[in-house]
Amino acid sequence: MVKPTKRALSFASIAALGVLAACGTSSTTTSSSAGATGIAGCKGTITVATDLPLTGGDVTDGPYVQMAAELAVTQAQQAKLLGGCTLKYISKNDSTVLANGHSPAQGAANITALASDATVMGVVGPFNSSVALAEIPVASMDHLALISPSNTNPCLTVVVAVCSDPSIKIDTASLYPGPHTYFRVIASDVQQGEIDAYVVSSVLNAKTVYVIDDQQAYGRGLALLFTKYYTADGGKVVGDASLPSTTTTYTTQISLAQTEGAKAIFFGGTSGDGCGLVRRDMGAGGLNIPIMGGDGCQDTKFISDANSGAVKNEAEGSYATSAPDVTKLSSSATFYSDYAAAYSSVAAPYNNATNEPYTPYGYDAMNILLQAIHSVLVSNGGQPPSSSMTFRDDVVAALHTTNYSGATGQQSFDANGDTTNTGFTLYKVESGAWVGINTYAVDTSGNVSVKTS
Amino acid sequence: MTIQSGTPEAPLAPLGDTSSGVGSPMLVDQRSLAPRRDQSNELVRSVGPVVRVAYGWISKHFAAVLLGMILVAIIATFKQGGLDLMGQQLRNALVLGAIYALVAIGYTMVYGIIELINFAHGDVFAAAGFYAVFIASTFHLDSLATGSFGGLILALIIVFPLSMLGAGITGVVIEFVAYRRLRDSPRLAPLITAIGVSFLIEGIMLVIEGPDNVATNQADWITGTAFTIGGVSVAWTDIFVVGMALFLMFALGEFVRRTRLGKAMRSTAQDRTAALLCGININRTISATFFIGSALAAAAAVIYSINYGDLKWNLGFHLGIIAFTAAVLGGIGNIVGAGVGGFIIGLIYVFGGSIFGGEWSESLIFAVLVLILTFRPVGLFGVEVTTRA
Amino acid sequence: MPLLELDSVTKRFGGLLAVSNVSFNLDSGEILSMIGPNGAGKTTAFNCVTGLFAISSGAIRFDGSSIAGLAPHRITKLGIARTFQNIRLFAYMTAVDNVMVGAHWWMKERVWDGAFRTARARREEKSVEQRALELLELLGLSRYAGSYAREMPYGLQRRLEIARALATQPRLLLLDEPAAGLNTQEKRELMQLIGVLRSEGLTILLIEHDMRLVMEVSDRIVVLDHGEKIAEGSPVDVRQNPRVIEAYLGTGATEVITSA
Repeated sequence: MVKPTKRALSFASIAALGVLAACGTSSTTTSSSAGATGIAGCKGTITVATDLPLTGGDVTDGPYVQMAAELAVTQAQQAKLLGGCTLKYISKNDSTVLANGHSPAQGAANITALASDATVMGVVGPFNSSVALAEIPVASMDHLALISPSNTNPCLTVVVAVCSDPSIKIDTASLYPGPHTYFRVIASDVQQGEIDAYVVSSVLNAKTVYVIDDQQAYGRGLALLFTKYYTADGGKVVGDASLPSTTTTYTTQISLAQTEGAKAIFFGGTSGDGCGLVRRDMGAGGLNIPIMGGDGCQDTKFISDANSGAVKNEAEGSYATSAPDVTKLSSSATFYSDYAAAYSSVAAPYNNATNEPYTPYGYDAMNILLQAIHSVLVSNGGQPPSSSMTFRDDVVAALHTTNYSGATGQQSFDANGDTTNTGFTLYKVESGAWVGINTYAVDTSGNVSVKTS
Repeated sequence: MTIQSGTPEAPLAPLGDTSSGVGSPMLVDQRSLAPRRDQSNELVRSVGPVVRVAYGWISKHFAAVLLGMILVAIIATFKQGGLDLMGQQLRNALVLGAIYALVAIGYTMVYGIIELINFAHGDVFAAAGFYAVFIASTFHLDSLATGSFGGLILALIIVFPLSMLGAGITGVVIEFVAYRRLRDSPRLAPLITAIGVSFLIEGIMLVIEGPDNVATNQADWITGTAFTIGGVSVAWTDIFVVGMALFLMFALGEFVRRTRLGKAMRSTAQDRTAALLCGININRTISATFFIGSALAAAAAVIYSINYGDLKWNLGFHLGIIAFTAAVLGGIGNIVGAGVGGFIIGLIYVFGGSIFGGEWSESLIFAVLVLILTFRPVGLFGVEVTTRA
Repeated sequence: MPLLELDSVTKRFGGLLAVSNVSFNLDSGEILSMIGPNGAGKTTAFNCVTGLFAISSGAIRFDGSSIAGLAPHRITKLGIARTFQNIRLFAYMTAVDNVMVGAHWWMKERVWDGAFRTARARREEKSVEQRALELLELLGLSRYAGSYAREMPYGLQRRLEIARALATQPRLLLLDEPAAGLNTQEKRELMQLIGVLRSEGLTILLIEHDMRLVMEVSDRIVVLDHGEKIAEGSPVDVRQNPRVIEAYLGTGATEVITSA
């Protein structure tokens, strides 16, 4: 069991170990040729930050992403990417003890604190869509760029049908009282829902399904999108339930699913909110059908929760889609080796970036932010714009024109700040670990196909 | 010598009101959660006679109304999914209710004896679960229990008393450190202390056990299906959970009814001063009450762990509040009431969730709590409080 | 040697002197009544003797040894039992259980005996129950053995309280207004009962307002007023004490007391 307080300390100690930066010898940035001549005389301090859930129920996800983003900063400092300007890094934790994980209120407070610091030019985060809902308006008001490595709720950027669902009720327009400063490097749940629906109905061949969600913006939204595309594919939802994260037993729902003849269970939510416990209770109830979840279920916590019940290998054969499995991409190789080198002294499992698929997205998000800052400096004669507000506006403008080849592939943003790099990988639990099977992509007309490259 | 029994005419009001309610031989405190004045009636009086009659009727027949609603829910479940679903959900409800019942008894015993809602009780439950895990790993009980039937029995004989002892001591220490000095303070003081103790225990568990679910490895102690009726399969764990809970509740009932300490507990609950002057050591009796209540919570925790296989640092808070509702439903202070209340809450949770959707389970439980406090503040088995001038 | 000695006992509540410098002795086998107007400090004196109140100064000795400062349950074990002005029975326990609570301190059953229902525990419970039933019979309550205390008629509740006090095996019995609320017939029975208890060798300290009863059963009477002892003596002496008549009963009450 990892103790959150101790781990937070180890991050601090890593940050203090400047020597680690020496490991980042290989440059993964596209700017190595840009040279630092123009900006060598740059004066002042420029701060970038992360806002991620580092403790509580999110301890199995957030820390990897934070460490990857910090690695990007360390490498940029080493490479003097911002010339003579001092590059400072701040890590904020949006988990609270009370929430036992990510807290929207804490996230908003973090962004407010960061925005009031005139040297902060952008934030990588948040991890959770529910936190993004609270942070986006704050960032927009203060013209602060926010790049999420993992938010998949579509309503954060575009209006789709589910946004007006009474249980979600996201008014996308009102999220942006100021300029549109929000970006994400991962595809949204519209694509994920489509792919999940396709997988359940066409790959698993289950034509009836019981849907459970965790009442959160992410989980509920994904469940609704899944339902929409699944019924469009000809499947039938035989029952659904929306249960809080405090639920300790799902036997009532398992019995209902069994009675209604469900051939699969779909869970919209995170393993912190019960994904693995549903699988555990399926085992206890003798319900031998597959469970399918979104990226919130694809972590080690799902496996340990599912296996904690009467059936010791209950997690076997569970499915979940998540961020594309980039471990096999050639573009990611350098990142993974850099990460392993930089954090070799960190206790397992955090020394291995492949445990959390969003890790390279955190790295790319931070690099994209640093590139944007770099390009603003270059086009401004090597100096930061005199007003910090102008500087922030320029960074946002630069982000809109991003064309960055990173660990996760080619990243650019559309007008809504959504990435053009879509696709989700289907994972399956085999021998106690999540194994990537296929990566699926959705084309503009809604057809799902296996992505081969 | 003979002394004629006196005339049955009582010149003054007898102790307590005999108008209605079931007298229970268990710990009953007549000063329950009921308001000192019957405010609800005053409110109703201003609304009109029709409402007053309706209020009076529901109030009087609250148990029948509640059980009627549960029966309707069971029938609705039958309509929805046939005998199979109904049977499965009944099984689920009994398993859940058994655990609520055991935890509720601790709340009710402590309330009965010192009129304190011991918010830390739920956390003692969770802590006891972790004690059991520690005991099991210390004595290598996991392999023993899964090895053979005899080994399982031996493991249970080791883990139950030891974790009950540990939790009992925890409860006694909590009472000694946090509540004893405040016994004669205004009631708000120990209540706030109780919340503080609850946070303290949760904090300690969070630091030691971490924020995530902790797998206890006890879920495979008891495996397999006992029998199957139609589409309803009943696992051995289900039988273990319900059987163990019923056995413990019966044993506690007998203990409280018959033994010397049981009588001391009941008398202390009903009139502390009179008990003191009958030669009862009040401090020791209250400690014993905390010990027994906490030990039962520990038994519930072991049962929980064997049934579900995981524990979490804040499990007790949530489960505790629901169990507390069960205690209020049965009439706080009343042991039999808490046991029955636990099973009723289990039924409401499962059948409410089955019909209206799981998202309504907890809302329904707390709606029932509001209804009890409105219509029958003394609970199903409580006794009407005399509204003396 | 007197069984109970109060030596300059004072009990102060803030500025109020509830009991002020009161001394009197009580010999074994004696029946002593404490009388005085409401608020004279009679019940406070009882509470001091039984340990519910810590005395402010003075000394209380029982059977020669000081009992001031002892916990009430320890004083009960020494052999002092009491009843209450406003009945304090265990309302939701049966009459026989109420009496068995009185036997609590001298029962030998330990927690584990009870928990595992050992033969010893069951034997003892049986014999104590038998003893409780005997006490109920002595007080004419056999018919109500299985009834809840709260369901019994008021007069019988008073008697049940005495039975419970007797179960603690006292040498000294403190009765706080045992006749309050009783009708004439019940009062007569109470007097008979006190006679029986005296013949069993029990020492009794009585607080009572019913003068007829006091004058009839008491060996001696102590009169309190405003916390102070204003008279002590035989019923005849007290009845004729002008200070008592004036200070306690007020002028013009002489007839009441003398005619009683």
